[in-house]
Amino acid sequence: MRNLLNFLIKYGAWFLFTLYVLLSCLLLMSQSAYRQSALLTSANVVAGSIYGVTSEVTGYFHLKSINEELQLRNASLENEVLNLKDRLAELAPMVDTALFKPNGKARFDFISASVINNSTRHPRNYFTINRGANDGVETGMGVVDQNGVVGIVNVAAGNTARVISLLNETQRFSVKIKDTDYVGSLTWKGSDPRTAYMEEVPRHVKFHAGDTIVTSGYSTTFPEGIPVGRVLNRIKGADDNFFIFKIRLASDFNALSTVRIIKDFYKPELDSLKNHDIKTGN
Amino acid sequence: MSAKDVIQYSVLFFVLVLAQVLICNHLALFNVAIPIVFIYFIIRLPVDMKLSLLFTLAFLIGLSVDIFSDTAGVNSMACTLIAALKCPAFYAYVPRDDKTKSMIPSATNMGLGVFSKYLFTMVTIYCLLAFVIEYFNFADVKDIVVMTAASSALSFLVILGIDSLVFSKE
Repeated sequence: MRNLLNFLIKYGAWFLFTLYVLLSCLLLMSQSAYRQSALLTSANVVAGSIYGVTSEVTGYFHLKSINEELQLRNASLENEVLNLKDRLAELAPMVDTALFKPNGKARFDFISASVINNSTRHPRNYFTINRGANDGVETGMGVVDQNGVVGIVNVAAGNTARVISLLNETQRFSVKIKDTDYVGSLTWKGSDPRTAYMEEVPRHVKFHAGDTIVTSGYSTTFPEGIPVGRVLNRIKGADDNFFIFKIRLASDFNALSTVRIIKDFYKPELDSLKNHDIKTGN
Repeated sequence: MSAKDVIQYSVLFFVLVLAQVLICNHLALFNVAIPIVFIYFIIRLPVDMKLSLLFTLAFLIGLSVDIFSDTAGVNSMACTLIAALKCPAFYAYVPRDDKTKSMIPSATNMGLGVFSKYLFTMVTIYCLLAFVIEYFNFADVKDIVVMTAASSALSFLVILGIDSLVFSKE
């Protein structure tokens, strides 16, 4: 017994050392897990309030370019409204216009938030926003900015939340080529914050450089048709049966400022259906 | 360690963590060189500090930076490892005698030349460890070497500057 005590006293520091290394390993492995505690992320109270204060200053950066992007977006939306109005006027004499009236409430709602901390140089990037569970933000909600998809909420604390950036090697997004049904999976492979890759695209797909890539809408995270980027070119993959496209991302991740979190009112219903399927084994 | 030392080191701890997460993390020169300043805290701790306390403080400062920058585990592991290499690195350049037994590593105490060698060794090993842990099976070896070289050179210069400012009266 005494020998054991002596041994522990003599090498106690190295037991501590081993313990800390093991703890770090655990942290490394739990990194991207959903529903982890907010305590060990930048969404915790202390980090959130410090970043909240500093973003009062840094929030003014990039305002000029963001303003220009918003003007462009505004213009394209206005165009779309005009086109739809024309179309409506054309069709109105032919059918009952009551059919065009929106029936009940919309499927999606948006919560606006500011990015208070952001990184683009890690292999696993996250950013922190100043809206949390108290504002209705939940784990798994999609996040977009004025240009397109930017991430998925990972941890929601009281007044802040941590979002898995699209620039994160562990996160995949279901995307498709606009106006087609060719679906693939978007991944980011580090180093360049402006390019990502669309994988698992079937070989028979016809495409052109510059084609727009949008969300597929196959999940409750993003509605269909939110821009993600444009096809740059096709690169050779390991598997001959699939194409890999190099994508120029629509959003500028170094200048993230104001984002919107997407709330899907159908989510509980769709999730319960999914659970029902699993339970009944269908 | 006197109460004054405890206060000074606590202040150094918080100032370095904040400087790292609020300023240095966002300064990626050419997207490869990141100044890593918070390890100055580990470098600066007295060499005769009890190992268990040294490991604990190193782990804590690494964990703090990890929490703020969402790199869970990367810096806490690298800091714990570098803490274990602190004494061997120190005595590689300094003779083991009564005068150096309880020394606080700094340019004023060790002389600029010797301190630079010790600092450079620590910073380079740290950057290598941190990048290998973070980019493990992700980036290729060339990228890790470039980032380690660039970041350690930049961190070395910045820490040398901080060292001339902090507690320069001692």
